[in-house]
Amino acid sequence: MKDKIMDSLREFGLPRLIITGFLVLLLIMAPFVGADLPTQISNIINRFSWNGILVLAMVPMVHSGCGLNFGLPLGIISGLLGATISIEMGFTGGMSFVVAILVATPFALVFGALYGWLLNKIKGGEMMIATYVGFSSVSLMCMMWLVLPYHSPNMVWGLAGKGLRTTISLEGYFDQALASIARIEIGNISIPTGTLIFFAILAFAIWAFLHTKTGTAMTAVGSNPVFAKAAGINVDRIRMLSVVMSTWLAAIGILVYEQGFGFIQLYMAPFYMALPAVSAILIGGASVNKASIMNVIVGTILFQGIVTMTPTVMNNMIHMDMSEVIRIIASMGMILFALTRKTEASR
Amino acid sequence: MNDKKKINLRQASVPIMFIIICIFCIPLSGLSPKMLINEIITRMGRNAFLILSLLIPIMAGMGLNFGMTLGAMAAEIALILVCDWQIVGVPGMVLAAIISVPISVLLGIFCGKILNRAKGREMITSYIMAFFINGIYQIVVLYLMGKVIPIKHSSIKLPRGYGIRNTVSLLSMRQKLDNMLAINVAGVKIPLLTFIIIAIMCLVIVWFRRTKLGQDMRAVGQDMEVARDAGINVERTRIISIVISTVLAGFGMIIYLQNMGNIATYTAHSQIGMFCIAALLVGGASVDKASIGNVFLGVVLFHTMFIVAPRAGAYITGDSMIGEYFRVFVSYAVITVALIMYETNKRKAKSAASMKLKEAQDEE
Amino acid sequence: MKNKRQLIFRAAAIAVILVIAVIMFIIGRGHTIYFDNVSADYEGKSYDAYYKVTVIKDGEKVAKLAEDERGMTDLMGQTLSMTLEITDEKGQEPHSHKVSMPIPYGIDGIVINVPELMAGLPSQAYMSEFVPIATQEEDTDEEVVTDEFVMESDI
Repeated sequence: MKDKIMDSLREFGLPRLIITGFLVLLLIMAPFVGADLPTQISNIINRFSWNGILVLAMVPMVHSGCGLNFGLPLGIISGLLGATISIEMGFTGGMSFVVAILVATPFALVFGALYGWLLNKIKGGEMMIATYVGFSSVSLMCMMWLVLPYHSPNMVWGLAGKGLRTTISLEGYFDQALASIARIEIGNISIPTGTLIFFAILAFAIWAFLHTKTGTAMTAVGSNPVFAKAAGINVDRIRMLSVVMSTWLAAIGILVYEQGFGFIQLYMAPFYMALPAVSAILIGGASVNKASIMNVIVGTILFQGIVTMTPTVMNNMIHMDMSEVIRIIASMGMILFALTRKTEASR
Repeated sequence: MNDKKKINLRQASVPIMFIIICIFCIPLSGLSPKMLINEIITRMGRNAFLILSLLIPIMAGMGLNFGMTLGAMAAEIALILVCDWQIVGVPGMVLAAIISVPISVLLGIFCGKILNRAKGREMITSYIMAFFINGIYQIVVLYLMGKVIPIKHSSIKLPRGYGIRNTVSLLSMRQKLDNMLAINVAGVKIPLLTFIIIAIMCLVIVWFRRTKLGQDMRAVGQDMEVARDAGINVERTRIISIVISTVLAGFGMIIYLQNMGNIATYTAHSQIGMFCIAALLVGGASVDKASIGNVFLGVVLFHTMFIVAPRAGAYITGDSMIGEYFRVFVSYAVITVALIMYETNKRKAKSAASMKLKEAQDEE
Repeated sequence: MKNKRQLIFRAAAIAVILVIAVIMFIIGRGHTIYFDNVSADYEGKSYDAYYKVTVIKDGEKVAKLAEDERGMTDLMGQTLSMTLEITDEKGQEPHSHKVSMPIPYGIDGIVINVPELMAGLPSQAYMSEFVPIATQEEDTDEEVVTDEFVMESDI
């Protein structure tokens, strides 16, 4: 019995336990140090709605055994292209969001296909190369944002008349496009129902997909590629599909993030965006080759909980804002922990 | 034989590409040859030692040690302390080097132990490790220094009473090492002492390769299982290789910072690993093979590109930012390409081996 | 046997390194020396400033002081050796003096009053600690930047 508890504890992992315990502690402490709990909860829900889909974008690649998608920035760039082109074409309001998704999709498919083709060439070294594919594409796009012929006065530098700004306000475009749909406001709590529903639809779609024939094949490829190959599954094609899906989800994810945040951030901003998403899904209970929708939801709530709670609670408690450092150590520690787990290697 | 030639050509392709970029950009940059050579010599003295620290983990088959940042952080902590104690000049650097060693060793052992648990993904793990230790470093420098670790001088302490300022001036050490024994050849300043130290380090590495430990490391790098069967303590050997790399990176960082003349407390180390690795790869090294020659060729080519690209970019497009982004892009792209080449080669070798095995089995 | 020898070697190596560290502590200690060519009073006697004082350290002219002026130089180690070239009155030939004195380890900045030094007074007379005056604007809070992506402009 004792062994069983120890086993499940080990399975759960010490870092995860610490992080969960820490959040629970924060929640308990919050009222005592004078933080407004409803505001905090509202913040967590809002930030969950912004980030959920970016974390969801991890799932397909983890399933097919491509590891954690450190190449998330590639998908984010497709989303940014969609957003900027939609504004450049003159769409406003909610329509600009729809167009942004429509424009981002082909980019995501093409980039994802190239990325998937590359990852098929280097099975076993996916994560490191994914990281650097992300970095290279972000820095390449840094040049592109300057060079591409954008003209919309709301996006380019006022003086030069060319070159996109580092941050572009979405006011009048798709700011709160989803969040404002059926928004519920109770006192201090504001729930972005539309965004949550959008996330739920996508999450359900992924869940449903993973239960189709192709979906189960994907899981098979991830857990045992040799067996999958023997069973007549085209491993490379399935992996490619998973990468394309992850990339597309990342593109949608950043658009949803932006509509909540209210700004488009260009240039170096997408650089480290993969890391929070990776650590979020790991905190939620995923491993390098296993992830479920539940992991996404739990992980995002836990991660965003820590991000929003630590500054206020810590500040009130010890008058030091150590939230930044805590966030770094918690998320990086979580990734390190996951990387050191023995996994049935997918090669 | 033919295969070997092919691989050589492939390895040479990155340096050749860089030579072409440099040849194209140098005239456009408008820099005089003297200025350019001066810059390259300065940067060689500044960076070569740091890059040398990468060689030993490559030898041990642990890939590019992104965890060299750990040594850089240890060196920064040591330098901040030495700065506060007002130990100046070359003695200050020596003292900082001595202080950095125990910190580097501890971090190196920790990093090595973690990497032993993540065999096969050392690079991504050491990469994340750098971020993780950066968090610890921030706790030490931003919260403990001035509270737990005494810091006397308000010139390096934040006004709130604890934590270190964004920049710490190293004016008392600035280029003290470089200027000692510096000679001037036709208007080009050569920091002879720095180069002598780098040369000694190269000799040490050459010597180290021939020692028992060095041989063990190569054996481990080639095949861990075979090495283990031969009675080599694989885990320990790997940890030692990371420890050595971390300590050397710390020394390298001290040389680097004395040349710069100030420490950007929270950012100086963040990109250093990436740029050093990019430089080494530009010199024709790969993830599993790197020589001292690669280091120097890499420094010259990479830094020439680094100097001329923004100017050339500004000349062509009229926008200096494009050149800046270009060189950042090139740094990342080089690493990406090298990683891809390494993984595809590894896979090819693997499939070739399994083909042979299959043939052998068929013959039976 | 081999282990014991190894242990001795290691202990010796660590001891040597520690000794080097201590030596570095001593010879590497930096001080800032300020020279005052200012009239001063000590125990009821007054010492007048010179017309001009030139301070030469390691063959390099580090300070040139007219009356009521202050100069400074950096010093490594605890012994200050310098040559003072003193011109008493305008138009007179300068006369030079070699001076060497120990500097207390614990003090960062030291002010030396040249007239008092030349009069042969004890060290507590001509030496005093330099206390920097904290300026108001320097004490404004500094925003610490840790997480921002910096594009290294120079490496």
